[in-house]
Amino acid sequence: MATALSGLISRPIPLFTAATLLRAGMLLYGLWQDANSPLKYTDIDYLVFTDAARFTFSPSSSSSSLSSLSPYTRETYRYTPLLAWLLWPTTLPGTFWFSSGKALFAAADLLAGYLITLILQRHMRMPADRACRFASIWLLNPMVATISTRGSSEGLMGVLVTALLWAVLERRVALAGVLLGLGVHFKIYPFIYAPAVVWWMDAERMGTSPSSRPQLVTKRSSGREKKKGEVRSSQTKTAQTSTLQQKITAFITPQRIQLTLVSLATFLGLNAAMYAAYGTPFLTHTFLHHVTRIDHRHNFSPYNVLLYLTSASSSSSPHLLGSSPAPLSSSTSPPSFRIESVAFVPQLLLSTVLIPLVGAKRDLPATMLAQTFAFVTFNKVCTSQYFLWYMVLLPLYLPTSSLLHRPARGLAALALWVAAQALWLQQGYALEFLGRSTFAPGLWAASLAFFLVNCWILGVVVEDIGGASA
Amino acid sequence: MRQRITFFHRNEHGIEPTSLEVGDRSISGPDLVVAREHRVTLAVEELPAELQELLRSSNELYIRWSTPRALESLGPWTSRLPPGLHAFYTPQKGEVLESLRLCTQLRTVFGDIDCSSPAESFTTLPNDRFSHSTAYQYFHTLKSLSNFTTYVEQYACVPKEKCKERVEELANAVSLDLSYDAISHVVKITAVWPEAHQTLSINSHPDHRTEVGILTPDTPPHLEPHELGVTGLLTVLGEDTKPSPVLFSFPARHKDTESSFSSTFLKPWGLHPTMQLHIDSSKPPSDDVRCSLHAYLTLPRFIFADKYQLNDELFLSSKNLTALRYMTQPVDLEAPDYAMKLWGSSVLLELQPPAGQDAEPWTAEIPLHLRYMSPAAGGYTNIDVPSPAVFWACTAEDGTQFPNSPFDRVNLGYDGLFGPRTSFWHVKPAPEGDGSLMHQIRVPVLDLDMSKWISTGTSAVVLLGFAFVVFKLLSVYLKTGYGSQKSAKETQKKKQ
Repeated sequence: MATALSGLISRPIPLFTAATLLRAGMLLYGLWQDANSPLKYTDIDYLVFTDAARFTFSPSSSSSSLSSLSPYTRETYRYTPLLAWLLWPTTLPGTFWFSSGKALFAAADLLAGYLITLILQRHMRMPADRACRFASIWLLNPMVATISTRGSSEGLMGVLVTALLWAVLERRVALAGVLLGLGVHFKIYPFIYAPAVVWWMDAERMGTSPSSRPQLVTKRSSGREKKKGEVRSSQTKTAQTSTLQQKITAFITPQRIQLTLVSLATFLGLNAAMYAAYGTPFLTHTFLHHVTRIDHRHNFSPYNVLLYLTSASSSSSPHLLGSSPAPLSSSTSPPSFRIESVAFVPQLLLSTVLIPLVGAKRDLPATMLAQTFAFVTFNKVCTSQYFLWYMVLLPLYLPTSSLLHRPARGLAALALWVAAQALWLQQGYALEFLGRSTFAPGLWAASLAFFLVNCWILGVVVEDIGGASA
Repeated sequence: MRQRITFFHRNEHGIEPTSLEVGDRSISGPDLVVAREHRVTLAVEELPAELQELLRSSNELYIRWSTPRALESLGPWTSRLPPGLHAFYTPQKGEVLESLRLCTQLRTVFGDIDCSSPAESFTTLPNDRFSHSTAYQYFHTLKSLSNFTTYVEQYACVPKEKCKERVEELANAVSLDLSYDAISHVVKITAVWPEAHQTLSINSHPDHRTEVGILTPDTPPHLEPHELGVTGLLTVLGEDTKPSPVLFSFPARHKDTESSFSSTFLKPWGLHPTMQLHIDSSKPPSDDVRCSLHAYLTLPRFIFADKYQLNDELFLSSKNLTALRYMTQPVDLEAPDYAMKLWGSSVLLELQPPAGQDAEPWTAEIPLHLRYMSPAAGGYTNIDVPSPAVFWACTAEDGTQFPNSPFDRVNLGYDGLFGPRTSFWHVKPAPEGDGSLMHQIRVPVLDLDMSKWISTGTSAVVLLGFAFVVFKLLSVYLKTGYGSQKSAKETQKKKQ
């Protein structure tokens, strides 16, 4: 049985067939549940997307038909119009077409899985069977399959990020630029990959350096037997001798310029086009919303309860008396140091500066995982959909991870990650459905515990990238 | 100023016409068991200056207050509203909605209500359905008229003790209506009291026309099904020397049904409380015309319904609901209570009674959602949610019109959502345990007593986590620098 299973997931065709069947089965089950139960399988977000697609393409369904066709007619549509365009087939009549968006998201999952096997084989020199086994972590993951067949668009981000990584490792700079620009336009967060990719793309690696050994480096077959210390001392020497100007000139390579220009052009071009088509609502809902949102509802972020507290004290206005709750007392007067107003500092410092700087040149896929992990962990809002952002990179990190080589550590990490979430979910359930005031200390402590677990796991990933533990 | 006082009694509580004593400007008689309506019609100029100023900037202003006590209705005053203070307003052309005048006056007259300006606190009513709606709506869960009583005493009762007594009776009123429109240019103030023992002794001021009616239900010949018939005695004080007997009928848009309903919130409340309506009969009031049962809710802003959730037939059907017929637009689905200024939202839902022929009791459930509210000491805040108005809306036969009737109320919020030929058959609200139609529910909020730990605690933990990761990064950097494939590889080789 175990060998049969292992055989199944070790070859591409059975693996992808299994992944496809898993999604097809869940999709069909979802259709059945939606048609027969008042509790819906389909995610609320999918209804938002498909409503938005209808508002974009068919004037009749819009209540204010005089206004121009726009996905932003649908409240809480906070995405690029590209998503609504992609879902045009869902506006066709019938359940089959209505569900085509879920099929698209599930197909995106599969494509991301395929790119994972490609990267593992071509760039991490892994045999096909082993690559398939690691890709199955993503492809056969029930959480991933559920999220996309319920109609959440995170699968599209998975494919954009893996494609970006693949294009970079293949040295297809222009394509990488387009994917990066597109990814940021789609969901903002992939901008964190830009510094890692740029830092990774040095002249040596891209094979354009005027200095020696370009071939050796790009083919990853350096036979030099220099000791570590010697490398470092020589590096130091070079660093000492080269002036700042030389360093900058060395840093600015044609590929880096190309990547920057192409990605910026893609990002800005898409934004300009969408702004031209949909005007201010596009900017307001897709980008500015993320600046002005309060994020007061309970979620996994360590800042969550604090944001609820501070948003309430800044909103309590003097003329709201009577039935409204008493104005907040002086106990919530602004503290001397307000961490939530500088929350982006640790988050961006880690995910866009420190982790890429230390990791990108060693192991780009694992660095991108660490960046995403840091970004999600230190974010002001965090829901379980965000976990998919780093899960897609997990198969590329686990082969070299101490979490796998030292099973006790790996199991401990998994157990703590699940336990902290379970604790939070239990507190969240008591609040949401039983009406118990569990904001503090329950939910607050659980989110901080989850945060600390994530920091520890992030530390392990960083260590693994450094190769310090093995 | 004109006054119309109407007493309405059951047939068995009738009095002898001869027992009434009509004086020069007075009427008195034996004690009555009656419901009473008192209507005062004032010219705008008779009002306090600040109210005159407000009305001159208004095109229409209708204020309706309904008691939170569950009481039987009697007579033609059968229309129902969710308990609380409702305001319907259309400004004059050119009047700025940001003006604080209306809310300031509402606060002066009714007490401390949560209202800043029509632009910020009022919601927009649809103008595409029927033309007789006002432009804006406001609602507040005002439980008593005590502030209004004080206000009226100050302005209307300067020298007169008798007046004070009359005004203080407002504490027992079931409903209070204030109506103004720029065309009639008069203000009508109408209060209704429930059935009770009352002394009959009315004196009128020489300058005021006062009409007193003592009425009881009757069936005049040729009474149409949509009409109400009454008989009784009318007296105009100072003009009539004896009461004149009358028998007349008038079209009644609002009627009582025999059935009643109660509403409760299912426990546990959580952040998504469900309001359950328990209706004791599934039978429409009339077999001749098409009737459908509706619930009209005025939801203060801390609680709301999600129109997208109420869009799925299977889901609606599982709650015994037919469809969402109207909801204030837009309703923010995300904002916390403390970041909003709009009063809330009104909702009209069509209910789905069981299909059987028998008048069986049944329930319908309305799923609602709470917003986050300001942190409070102890971790909980109590809120009041008014019970809805539940009625059968029946389409009268072709050609039936409801011209202005002497007793019907208009501009109730829901009447403007139906066509002019619709009549409303009200299902009586039965009280909850304490006799109130206001539901109190407990909302979990952040405990203020804990809040001083939140800021320092979060900062400390975030900094700790950040420092740990930075330390890990730093140790990697100090060992092997930026690393490159070459050096990393060599490190590995060295280890081998």
